[in-house]
Amino acid sequence: MNATMSDTRTTRTICGYCGVGCSLDLVTRDNRIIAVHPAFDGPANQGALCVKGQFAYDYVHHPDRLTHPLVRDEAGLLQRATWDEALQRAAQGFMDVEQKHGRHAVYGVASGRTPSEANYMMQKFIRVGFGTNYIDNCSRA
Amino acid sequence: MSNPLADMEKPDVIFCIGTNMTEAHPVAATRLKKALARGARMIVADPRRIRLAEMADLYLPIRVGSDTALLLGMAHVIVREGLADSEFIATRTEGYDELVDHLQEKTPEWAESITGVPAAMIEEAAVLYGSSDRAAIYYTLGITEHICGVENVQSLCNLALLTGNFGREGTGVNPMRGQNNIQGAGDSGALPNNYVGFQPVDDAANQAKFEKAYGRKMDLEKGITKVTALDQCGDRIFAMLIDGENTVVSDPDQEHCIHALKSLEHLVVIDIFLTETAELADVVLPATSWAETDGNFVNTERRIQRVRKAVDPPGVARPDWWIIGQIAQRMGMSGMDFDSPVPIFNELCELSPIYAGIDWDLAEGGQYQWPIPYRGHPGTPRLHEDEFINGRGKFSFTDYRDPAETIDEAYPLWLTTGRRLESYHTRTQTGRSEGINQLLPEETLEVHPSDAARYGLHDGGWARMSSRRGAVDVRVETTRRSPQGTVFASFSFAEVPINVLTGSGYDPITHTAELKVCPVHVEPIAEGAQLAAD
Repeated sequence: MNATMSDTRTTRTICGYCGVGCSLDLVTRDNRIIAVHPAFDGPANQGALCVKGQFAYDYVHHPDRLTHPLVRDEAGLLQRATWDEALQRAAQGFMDVEQKHGRHAVYGVASGRTPSEANYMMQKFIRVGFGTNYIDNCSRA
Repeated sequence: MSNPLADMEKPDVIFCIGTNMTEAHPVAATRLKKALARGARMIVADPRRIRLAEMADLYLPIRVGSDTALLLGMAHVIVREGLADSEFIATRTEGYDELVDHLQEKTPEWAESITGVPAAMIEEAAVLYGSSDRAAIYYTLGITEHICGVENVQSLCNLALLTGNFGREGTGVNPMRGQNNIQGAGDSGALPNNYVGFQPVDDAANQAKFEKAYGRKMDLEKGITKVTALDQCGDRIFAMLIDGENTVVSDPDQEHCIHALKSLEHLVVIDIFLTETAELADVVLPATSWAETDGNFVNTERRIQRVRKAVDPPGVARPDWWIIGQIAQRMGMSGMDFDSPVPIFNELCELSPIYAGIDWDLAEGGQYQWPIPYRGHPGTPRLHEDEFINGRGKFSFTDYRDPAETIDEAYPLWLTTGRRLESYHTRTQTGRSEGINQLLPEETLEVHPSDAARYGLHDGGWARMSSRRGAVDVRVETTRRSPQGTVFASFSFAEVPINVLTGSGYDPITHTAELKVCPVHVEPIAEGAQLAAD
């Protein structure tokens, strides 16, 4: 198959590594990243990228990626599950712990790597769900 | 950062302390290189002779954990030499007279006795910083990951307040944030003491605001930090939801951390790989990665920038926000039913005074740096231009304290930990990047040649390194980058789990771990005799 330039797409985004926030263009073809181009109009980087931002993107397509939910079975092994099974198990576990130990027995750890929308949802999950401030992110270690 | 990244090209004098910027924030370091090429002068304080130190006009080789003493000594010299900015002090600060009294005994000779840096060099640094028109401070975790992290930052603020280096181009006190969205995580309210936009939870008006927004009674008490929560696992904490953090490898005192997570009745981990932490979970939920997600990141200069989905995720992986919302809905929570990140971000903006001027559509172009207090406001690249948030800048009366553990006969070397250019944190991503693995295939322990000779270690051979909490085996690299008496390794490699050793103490206010100081003992071991790291 001869891929042509018309098969490639370019998506402007922000580097996912450190906090500098370099702008870059992800070049993709057939649902795979084939290159990273630094953005010369990026306010933080003005066309520069480091070795991680420029080259360390192949983890996205690594065979180790989690592709399905996993739930621990009675033998103690993580087994593939459907979203419905896994989400129900996750939800039930939090409800059981709250019932048994109270609403201050549940804790949330948000990520410095996910978008703000995920962080907002993490803190809202704890605050709406339990009425506590038992939420933190990974900035202390 | 108080000032924008663009200001890094503008100072007359740059003072970098506890930041290995050319490795941890390489692109930001290019801005400093431009300033140096223009003629700016640079002071670097770091225990290790890092690349930045090689580029400096003045390198201060401080002993690990002695930053506050150095900064107090510099403040003493600035006052003594009449370099303080009297107009700025009179109009913008408070507590100057008390500070002058406090600094009386903090002579450069006193600072030398703690830091190991000659008094004359401390004086030279103070004069250089204090006599320039535009001086800017840059720091990273080498300042904050100590039991005295707060005092270190306050001591830096003292220097900038004394010399009027706030609110102008090419000045400021500028922490370099380490993760792509660690700023956004705090902004979004994922903190035990603040709602979104740093609104304190123990303020009754804020409590009322969020009880109305979230439709339920809210605690007026602050929550506990993650450090405390891990301490209380199996005792008072029985369930955790962890999103995208490899706690087991990144956090101090690994054995304690694993024991804590294992003692939970319910652990749910959302991640893109089956990390060492996810392996302990009851439920593992597959998330989209960075290239598969729409949303916003907030960078170190408070700039809100859009990330966009470029490829589909593998299998049935879904965005983190969707996963969290789905769990919540199955627990009967209301207000958690979102069908895209757009209304989530808009709700965040509506509840956050520092994001009040924007929404998803306005954030599209990435031109806003918070605070953006109202619609039509252009954003705030530079903080503290006219006044400080609380009116006047307060001087802090900091003092030096020893690290939580100090070297002794049993543990005679200082271990300091950090990052390397080619690896990111616990290598869940960079460790799965083929080219990167060729550049940096394994961890090594930086040891000064004279220490190597003293402890029987050889370049390329193996060492067993122990602290009061455990031991790891690591290959030795003899180098003069680390000074005599101090060794260095990164925590990135799960095969060399450096955080088995760390965890001697925490800052009492922030609960940040003293990851930069850990007394250790090293001894040679034969090739093939290494401990099995699992």
